[in-house]
Amino acid sequence: MTDTAQAMRDRTAVSGVGLLLGKYPERTSLSLAVEAYDIALADAGLERKDVDGIIQLSYGYDYDRFLEAVGADVRYAYQGWSHGRFVAPMLQHAAMAVATGMAKAVAIVHGRRSKAYGQTADHEMWRQGLGPHGESPAYGALGPAFGAAIAAQRYFHLYGGSNEDLAPIAMAFRKHAQLNPIAVRKDPMTREDYLKSRWIIEPLRLFDCCQNNDGGACIIVTSAERARDLRKPPVYISGMQGVHAGRQLHNLTLPGLGVAQQDVFPYRPTREDLYAYEMAGVTQKDIDALITYDAFSPLVLFALERFGFCGPGEAREFVKDGRIELGGELPINTGGGLLSEGHMIGWNLFIEAVRQLRHECGPRQVKDAQVIQYGSFLGESVIFRR
Amino acid sequence: MKPAYKMLDEQTGRYLPFVYPEELPFWEAARRHELVLQRCDGCGRAWYPIGPACPHCFSTKWDWSRMSGRGTLHNYVVYHKAWTPYFESRVPYAVVQVELEEGPRLTTNLLGCALADIRIGMPVVVDYEEIPGDITLVQFRPAKEQS
Ligand SMILES: [Zn+2]
Repeated sequence: MTDTAQAMRDRTAVSGVGLLLGKYPERTSLSLAVEAYDIALADAGLERKDVDGIIQLSYGYDYDRFLEAVGADVRYAYQGWSHGRFVAPMLQHAAMAVATGMAKAVAIVHGRRSKAYGQTADHEMWRQGLGPHGESPAYGALGPAFGAAIAAQRYFHLYGGSNEDLAPIAMAFRKHAQLNPIAVRKDPMTREDYLKSRWIIEPLRLFDCCQNNDGGACIIVTSAERARDLRKPPVYISGMQGVHAGRQLHNLTLPGLGVAQQDVFPYRPTREDLYAYEMAGVTQKDIDALITYDAFSPLVLFALERFGFCGPGEAREFVKDGRIELGGELPINTGGGLLSEGHMIGWNLFIEAVRQLRHECGPRQVKDAQVIQYGSFLGESVIFRR
Repeated sequence: MKPAYKMLDEQTGRYLPFVYPEELPFWEAARRHELVLQRCDGCGRAWYPIGPACPHCFSTKWDWSRMSGRGTLHNYVVYHKAWTPYFESRVPYAVVQVELEEGPRLTTNLLGCALADIRIGMPVVVDYEEIPGDITLVQFRPAKEQS
């Protein structure tokens, strides 16, 4: 990590958030994005004219249509690929744009319909050299769940265990969702319910896979100084590190599992793999809750080992006995995650981190939360503090 | 053969592979029931997915080379959900990743093997499946027991 990166600690903050989750059959992704933006502006106590940067994922409507729709001009616009792995990088770009003075307030906006016209997901499985989750349609290797299923199978092959080891993850997040008024899946889930849920791609069951829903999300990033003058308590962006990518870092897996062309070895993170902690001046022991991308339950195992919360092959024991539940040693996805709160590509995960650090989570509040980490299997991370 | 970008065979509902221009030699070989991949003139290694340069040493000097067709079953999953109506008659079916003797891993199906008999580590050999669109898919099947 360079000195410049070190200097990013607590320079910027999340000043406003807005989130909609559920079913909106009469709406478009554009109108959901606009509403979330409006909610986030009010949350921050900012006006349209105060926002001079916009970042979003490509999701049918684009940044230009969004800006036309809200009648705003900005000096920093950026748009990324519509996958959850690029959610953390967008927040990082917002922080960097603000820290370098390219923009004063950047709104990251997102709107989605679960089934919408004109999404790249309709054809990207036919990409040259396998799809973005390893898909190969002619062989029936279909859907993002394929990537998580092949990774889980290799994990169990190398370290032992089986599908049953994923039950505590799905059950913990369901418990959290039951304390979250906007969560999409709130029915109680026992171990028996989990084991009775149907196979989707063995070794993954229905309850190992997130569902699809509609919604909108917006996060506004400003300088830390500005955030202190706004309506809500600032949530500082203290440390961050990027998506690690390449042949050894296939999507939806952990290095060393031997998915696709990966080498096979027990993965242990080095200091260089964990520079977000150094940037933030904290260690794993300081993390009051971990927020991680959980489109599929095995990804939680991979995140725990990726960030050294436990050693190779140990995560399937780590997640047992309530350790990842509220009140446990390391609560994970306290809002219910993509598995039970809802699928907003990951923006709902970040918004949960922000709300926990504002101490506005009511019955699911992590007591006296000071530091919360977003960290996912590809090594991307943002460490927040209040 | 010519490049082809048809996602679906309308008659059967079966998904087809795209045949990208630089990948034609792979598909033409499969039609002859041969498995070829690119092999590097610099470091001698083969690779997959197909691409313009050797990912090991970044040499752009390489040739299509016939693989032995022998490999090991490296990984598998079993689809129970039918993603499209075509797959309703096929579930449950397995998708496997085979590690070739030469190193690269291919994502295919395993022909001639009951789901209950699939084991990571089992020896497999290349096979071929004719599908619509005059395309031949590279597939694998269990290797015969050595006696
Ligand atoms: Zn080479």
